[in-house]
Amino acid sequence: MTFLHDYIYYIGAFGLIFIGLFIMLVKHNLIKVIIGLSILETGVNLFLIAVGYISKGTAPIFSNSAVESERMVDPVPQALVLTAIVIGVAVLALALSLAIRLYHHYGVLDLRKIKEQRW
Amino acid sequence: MSLEFLLAIAFGGSLFTYVLGKISSKLRESFAVLISLTLVVMIVCLYGKTIEKSFYFGFLGLPLILRTNMLSWLFAIAISVLGSLSVIFSLSYIKNRERADFYYLMLLLINAAMLGIVLSGDLLSFFIFWEIMSWSTFLLISYNRGAALAAGMKYIIMSTVGSMAMLIGVISIYTTYGTLNISEIAASSNLASSGYILSILILFFTAFGIKNAILPFHSWLPSAHAEAPSPFSSILSGILIKMGTYGFILFIYVIVGLNKFLNLGHGVLSFRYILCILGALTILIPTFIAVLQDDAKKLLAWSTIGQAGYIILGIAFGTSVSVAGGIFHFFNHAVFKGLLFLVVGAVEYRTNGIRDLNSLGGLIKKMPIAFIGALIGICGLIGLPLTNGFVSKWLIYKTLILEQSPFLAFAALFGTWGTILYSYKLIHNIFLGQLPEKYRDIQKSPFSMQLPIIVLSFAILLFGILPGIPLKVINAIGVSFGLESLSVTLWGIASETGALNTINLFVAILVGCIVVAFIFKAGQKAISVGQEDNYAAGAAIPKDKYHYTVDFYNPLYRMITPYLKDFIDAFYMKLAGWTQNLCSGVRRIYTGYVGHYVMYIVLFVALLIFIQVKWSLW
Amino acid sequence: MVSPVLLIVVPLGLAFAIPLFGFISKRIVKYIPIAAFAFNLAVALLLIPEVLKHPIVVRIGGFPPPFGINLVAGPVGVLFSVLIAVAGLLVAIYALTYIKEGSKEKYHMLYLLLLTGATGVVLTGDIFNLFVFFEILCISSYALVAYIGDRAGIESAIKYLIQGAVGSSFLLIGIGLLYGLFGTLNMADLAQHIESASPISVFVPMVLIITGLGIEAAIFPLNAWLPDAHSSAPSSISAILSGIAIEVGLYAVVRVIFTIFGVSSIFMFLVFLGILTLLIGEMCAFSQKNIKRMLAYSSIGQIGLIVFAMAMATSLAVTGGLFQLVSHTLGKSLLFLAVGYMIYRSGSMEISSLEGMGKRMPLTSLAFTIGAFSIVGLPPFVGFPSKFLIVQAALAKEAVLFTGLIGLVLLGTVIEGAYFFRVVQALYFKKGNGDSERNEAPVTGLIPMFIFVTLIIVIGIYPKLLTDVLNSAASEFLNRIDYIRSVIG
Repeated sequence: MTFLHDYIYYIGAFGLIFIGLFIMLVKHNLIKVIIGLSILETGVNLFLIAVGYISKGTAPIFSNSAVESERMVDPVPQALVLTAIVIGVAVLALALSLAIRLYHHYGVLDLRKIKEQRW
Repeated sequence: MSLEFLLAIAFGGSLFTYVLGKISSKLRESFAVLISLTLVVMIVCLYGKTIEKSFYFGFLGLPLILRTNMLSWLFAIAISVLGSLSVIFSLSYIKNRERADFYYLMLLLINAAMLGIVLSGDLLSFFIFWEIMSWSTFLLISYNRGAALAAGMKYIIMSTVGSMAMLIGVISIYTTYGTLNISEIAASSNLASSGYILSILILFFTAFGIKNAILPFHSWLPSAHAEAPSPFSSILSGILIKMGTYGFILFIYVIVGLNKFLNLGHGVLSFRYILCILGALTILIPTFIAVLQDDAKKLLAWSTIGQAGYIILGIAFGTSVSVAGGIFHFFNHAVFKGLLFLVVGAVEYRTNGIRDLNSLGGLIKKMPIAFIGALIGICGLIGLPLTNGFVSKWLIYKTLILEQSPFLAFAALFGTWGTILYSYKLIHNIFLGQLPEKYRDIQKSPFSMQLPIIVLSFAILLFGILPGIPLKVINAIGVSFGLESLSVTLWGIASETGALNTINLFVAILVGCIVVAFIFKAGQKAISVGQEDNYAAGAAIPKDKYHYTVDFYNPLYRMITPYLKDFIDAFYMKLAGWTQNLCSGVRRIYTGYVGHYVMYIVLFVALLIFIQVKWSLW
Repeated sequence: MVSPVLLIVVPLGLAFAIPLFGFISKRIVKYIPIAAFAFNLAVALLLIPEVLKHPIVVRIGGFPPPFGINLVAGPVGVLFSVLIAVAGLLVAIYALTYIKEGSKEKYHMLYLLLLTGATGVVLTGDIFNLFVFFEILCISSYALVAYIGDRAGIESAIKYLIQGAVGSSFLLIGIGLLYGLFGTLNMADLAQHIESASPISVFVPMVLIITGLGIEAAIFPLNAWLPDAHSSAPSSISAILSGIAIEVGLYAVVRVIFTIFGVSSIFMFLVFLGILTLLIGEMCAFSQKNIKRMLAYSSIGQIGLIVFAMAMATSLAVTGGLFQLVSHTLGKSLLFLAVGYMIYRSGSMEISSLEGMGKRMPLTSLAFTIGAFSIVGLPPFVGFPSKFLIVQAALAKEAVLFTGLIGLVLLGTVIEGAYFFRVVQALYFKKGNGDSERNEAPVTGLIPMFIFVTLIIVIGIYPKLLTDVLNSAASEFLNRIDYIRSVIG
């Protein structure tokens, strides 16, 4: 159980990553693929947080009440995740707006039917 | 006078001609002629000089070197003279065509690049000029549109294959010897193993063979020569493909050296022997394919391949007489094949682009100068005594017989029979026989076309009667290769076995002619009858209905046609087809379905991990 | 002394200022990218002499290198900055009249952001910062591909986005793993510690990072987005995507492999990957009927060649690879610019519709021809010395394997020659169907083409202009110890 306890975030993160990838691989609907992408990115963000997380750590804020700095979680991954979330939002927003435009053009969202650009 | 100045004039002149063309066509034409004649004069001035000078250091730390010696000079003079005659011929040929500026630019650029090739003293500048020549030739071959496009593509693809082989060769030499200077490589080439030399030679000879159209690589030539504008065909056939010959000479005799060359392999498998066999096959097969052609320029093109075989045979055989014969034949071929293409060009010009031998005929009275040019040209091509072709072929035959190579000698002689057949077909079907009705009002060719024809015809006779003039230069080249000197006199070669004395021949033929003329005079007067009279026993036949040039050698055709399919060309075309299919097959991996693309990414990661787990490479 | 920070700050600031300028005047907007890249070009050129002596390390926020974010302007960074500034400037001039439809503010802002991202990637010394700039580059290029908003553009953009997003997720996982292992994000610091970790634990982040960056670098089989995106984007953007974006992706791959991981065992794999990319790109290009798709596939082929050269990892080879990269940027940008107006005039991207363009647009056709000849590697254009160096590097290895591989490379060149020469023939020697009125591209279109042509010919004749910078750039890639020392100090 300790294994699960120690690595629960990693397992969750990679679980999400694989679910996201799986969705992107097998689903034909563009919206579902974008949802898969979103799950994938969430998994990645969770993974980054997990890298910096210390079990039962405190927030990395220096103040007078802070006593043991070694119990603080690593602040860098949190900064990274913030950036990554922002980027993820941008990508997602762009993807969805493109999906809307694509629907205007094709009238479907089935990626198997959107194959004009090929070969 | 410095060589870089000469090349600067050649290249600058070509660009400036283009600019002038935007102003006025008269200005452009006179400048083009002026530039090409200036080059002739400058190169004449270089006679006998040996210069070697680096002129540019900016290229990747490699000095670019120009040099001249007898070998370069002979090629350079042939290039510049034929080039300027072709420019003069173009004056009326190109007059009312579109893109004349472009035509002159490319024509002069090709001449400049060829001068660069023969004057370059290191392999890098050799390669650079070679490439410039290749792509500008491609552009000029395509000039006529239509069928010329396919011809141009075929040319440039084969040429690129050759260039790439040459690029590997050049750089391999650089990494091995640390220099690209031809004389330095020549000095140190003894150090290399013969295996290395063999591989280098194969790489380079692929390039040269393609340019020179020897047998397995000839496939681009017929259509390219036929479809190019005629004045350029004459350069293409007379000089441009001889850049390959120059390369052969340069590598066999200057860089590798004769001794090393003769020792590459032995017996039937020796490199020299294989090259000779290729030369012999190049004589035999294309010559008879030429007999089958009905397109005047295609006929000449195949004939060019056949004649290139003689040149290669002579050069590769490697005795002093054969080398002299080979080099002399290159020179002669430039003269008479240049002439014949110009003659056909003049006919084509007057008949509005008709080159089909089956629909021409009887132009002798309409275009007398062209006829005389054609007559002298084919005499040279066949190698009749008192023309230059005789001397060079005689030199080659003589070596082959003396050195006891029966097959090669047979091939050379047999090729000459074929040459006689197609040459006669050429001149007969264009100039002799019945004049088709539609050509009644044909004009004789304009002066700017006659002048090059006259000059070249004169050169054929001059070098045929006094072969000592070029042979002196050629002998000097041979001596510089370390071959033994021939005792050249003004009218031939004096030696113990089979001396050549054209003066004796001249006198003999002159006497013969006088005797025949007397007999004619003494005999009955000939009665001239209408041309149609002797066809149908006096019955009236409609004009233009009976044309006896079609199926000229019908029995012969039936005999040889099955054997003379161009299998090699068919193979190349198949190869091109396969490549095309393969290419359009490969692109189907980009299916257009994004799920597949994501899968590729995941598979790529999986592949990397698999490799690591399986072999733990990193 | 000018600071390399300006190279990023100025265009970035101007990019965000563009909407504000838009309030003042709509017309001023399109001149801002020109000003930005003219400034960048001047700064980058000023930096060259200093950088050749020793790399400039800029500490952002004043923290010494392992902490904080730092910029490393070495020869590589400055070389790429110059390249980006040149291409950016010229294409911005081209866009003055080329971009007619849509919201110009968006176009120019995204354009500036794209190239700022590219400059950031090549200058940064921090791997997460690299990721961020990389995302700026990618997101703005997704948006720019869809800029026209037609079927093809939108479809290509969404496909590009999906693949790119997967790639950047992989990249981010890789960076996270590296951070978990070493607790640092500074590239020099990572490089310093990389040997202390067990090979297998370094291997996984390496694979992920190479994959993530390789998508933007268009390495086979990660390049399926490229032909779509490059052919559907506006031509000015295709020029930048083909000339800058994939090169920057390639830079990132090479930087990661050479400097951070320093693994020599992967090179052989990359050599084969490069050859495969080259051959597949050229073969696909050969059977294209759409001119822009043909050019896009040709870019894949060129990238393959550059990967091949870089992966040989000798000083000569990396110099050759960088040279090839420069010549590809010049040549391919020129080709896309030339093709842009040809398509505009003929109204179709089919090669057959470009027939007879030599009459209608002689200067543009000439520019195309020179670009094509340069890409094929014919002298006296810039493609020749670069190809020469690569072949020389391969033969200097003195291994039969590499001689064989260079044979394959040159086989690719033959195929490349075949399809480019075919187009050149179509331009000049086929009768166009339609009007043959002379209708040349506008001056703002011709000026950039003219400058590209000049650069192609001048560098082609006098490659020494570049070789010094390229040599020290190559040694920056190859001597990771020097890189670490100059950053950490």
